Amino acid sequence: MKIAIIGANGFIGSRLIEVFHLGGQHEVVAIVRQPCSLALPARFALDWRLGDALDAASLANALKGCDAVVHAAIGDPRQIERMPAILCAAATIAGVNRVVYLSSASVHGQNITPGTTEATPLKANFPIEYNNAKVRAENSFFAAIRKHRLSGYALRPGVVYGPRSRWIADLVNELRTGQAWLYEDGSGICNSIYVDNLIHAVSCCLTATQGAGEAYLVGDAETVTWANFYDLAADDVGVPHDHIHALSQLPEFKKTFREKVENAVAQPWMQALLPAVPFKLKQSSKRILASWNLPPSPEAWALPGTPRPHITQEVALLQQNRWRFPHTKASQALGFAPPVTFAEGMRRSLSWLRFATLDPTRQP
Amino acid sequence: MTAQSKIPVILVGCGAVSQLFYLPSLRALEAAGLFKVHALVDPSAQAREPLATAFPQARQLDALDACDAPPDSLAVIATPPRFHAQQTLEAVARGWHVLCEKPMASTTEECEQMIAAAREAGRILAVGLYKRFFPSSAYLKSLFTHGQLGALHSFTIAEGGPFKWPAATPSFFNKAQTPGGVLLDIGVHVLDLLLWWLGEPEKFVYADDAMGGIETNSRIQLHYASGAHGLVHLSRDWATANEYRFVFERGVVSWKTNDANGLTVQLADTAAALRAQLVTRIGGQLDSLALTPLATNPQSFIAQLQNLAAAIHGESPVHVPGEEGIRSLRLIAACYRERTLVDQPWFTPAETTRARQLAVQP
Repeated sequence: MKIAIIGANGFIGSRLIEVFHLGGQHEVVAIVRQPCSLALPARFALDWRLGDALDAASLANALKGCDAVVHAAIGDPRQIERMPAILCAAATIAGVNRVVYLSSASVHGQNITPGTTEATPLKANFPIEYNNAKVRAENSFFAAIRKHRLSGYALRPGVVYGPRSRWIADLVNELRTGQAWLYEDGSGICNSIYVDNLIHAVSCCLTATQGAGEAYLVGDAETVTWANFYDLAADDVGVPHDHIHALSQLPEFKKTFREKVENAVAQPWMQALLPAVPFKLKQSSKRILASWNLPPSPEAWALPGTPRPHITQEVALLQQNRWRFPHTKASQALGFAPPVTFAEGMRRSLSWLRFATLDPTRQP
Repeated sequence: MTAQSKIPVILVGCGAVSQLFYLPSLRALEAAGLFKVHALVDPSAQAREPLATAFPQARQLDALDACDAPPDSLAVIATPPRFHAQQTLEAVARGWHVLCEKPMASTTEECEQMIAAAREAGRILAVGLYKRFFPSSAYLKSLFTHGQLGALHSFTIAEGGPFKWPAATPSFFNKAQTPGGVLLDIGVHVLDLLLWWLGEPEKFVYADDAMGGIETNSRIQLHYASGAHGLVHLSRDWATANEYRFVFERGVVSWKTNDANGLTVQLADTAAALRAQLVTRIGGQLDSLALTPLATNPQSFIAQLQNLAAAIHGESPVHVPGEEGIRSLRLIAACYRERTLVDQPWFTPAETTRARQLAVQP
């Protein structure tokens, strides 16, 4: 099949190209928004095209002649919400019937209610706007495939790790700088999925003869805890486990004024009103917001060399998660069976990081 | 031409490098009375527009042959590399001096033609390897030449990050239009500095990740007759440390990429490293106000053009002539001839096998 990959320069898109092109199972068309994003796809002699995931005409032009499309583009919450409808409209214009959309398990939040499956109704009332955007985007995707009568599949991966993953790079950076932490000994469930396992799920969607119009949760075969995830990385970079901050309490995350405004702006009703706001007023508001809530200056009277844990709201919620979501539906409808073990996925991910960061003492 | 007259400049190519670097530099140098922008040459009126706004008196031209600049003008060739040779030959034939952006040309054969033509016409041919004008680069050159920290033992260089150059077209990634990737783009500066600092390597081993296309990660191991050795990693893929680290007999020097006037130095047997801004030499008086910072990155770019003005007026030699510009391209060409596929350890065995097959295909 001739597969268009939107977001071909990103973490998942670039690995999709490697797997499909080197594996020879599909002919790949790499689609990126701007010329500078061609650096990774252009390692191969393949068909690449410029197409804007926020512009149906531009995208339709890029999709011409393809049999299916995989949407792996990212953006800010507002862009995330707009992309699925544009994707489906473009696919329809280009005559591409099969569409695989990379949604996210974040539609269920980071700290997932036990018992959650694909059948659990989605709500867009999470504290992190990204989650709400993904909920609205997925709803928009299913509405659009119904409208255009497309064969559409939405995949909901959890924590996707692998080569070029921020999860791997940031974790190792925090381990090395003494900022890594685990909540309650890392006993929370990390719904991990190695990027090749996600690509296996994409492949299943591309060839499936049933199950269109549905969303699928996908993950690694094993139940992985956050301790499992951190320990393998710590061992690899030679950081003793007791250098990871052990936390039994997590801070409250109150939204700053700036975040509240940004969240309000992301709401659909506000988006509908924005075109009526004068350009100069929008620009000056942005400037004022940008200067608001600057990060506090570092604590002057702290002992040197005692880094604090770096706690974000997203990871705090993820580490409290106790639910391992099932991928039974994907297994039964699509034949999903993750081919790479968690240990092997981590080994490959960490070997990539050594490659990318040129650690001469630890080259493979 | 008198020493006081403004040198007419023909800016050939009005893309990102002209807009980001030459526009502010030439504006400053026009104000200083050294240059006057005579013509802006680019087939795209849209590309010319920001420069035309900055230099309203300059003629806007689609092609070089319509330019009426007098002999002794300076043609700045800032087009894609595949045009450099032909445009340089045309410029020197018309009596213009040339500053050619890096890489000097697509091939070393073209470079040799350009050098020969400039020599025959008695014109200056300089190459835009402006990092040689950084005070940090000159300071390192002094350490390598005079050995203040003893002999160089080894070095590690990592430079680059996700490619974000505002290229107007995909030509950067079209093998027919651009003969190389990150090695040709970033590597031409890195290898130029290494050749200037350390001379020719005795041997090298080169690998990259081009698998039928253009490389985005490059690795070069270099060995020198002195016994020094080094490793260079270049990337358009992932953020590198952007650092040059040199281990000498009596200390370690670290230089952050593009930090034109800063170095970090750790002297042997001392408890800490010194992170320093380069300033003017300490004089005889106890007067800290006399210590002023040396040139910044933009000032170093301007210094390159000042050097050319002085050279055109016969007051100074050209700091980076064509004969120097060709050296890094010779090494790059040798690297591409000897290239092997870099090990990408996250690939499956089947992917590695296929990648090796693709890497050797023309």
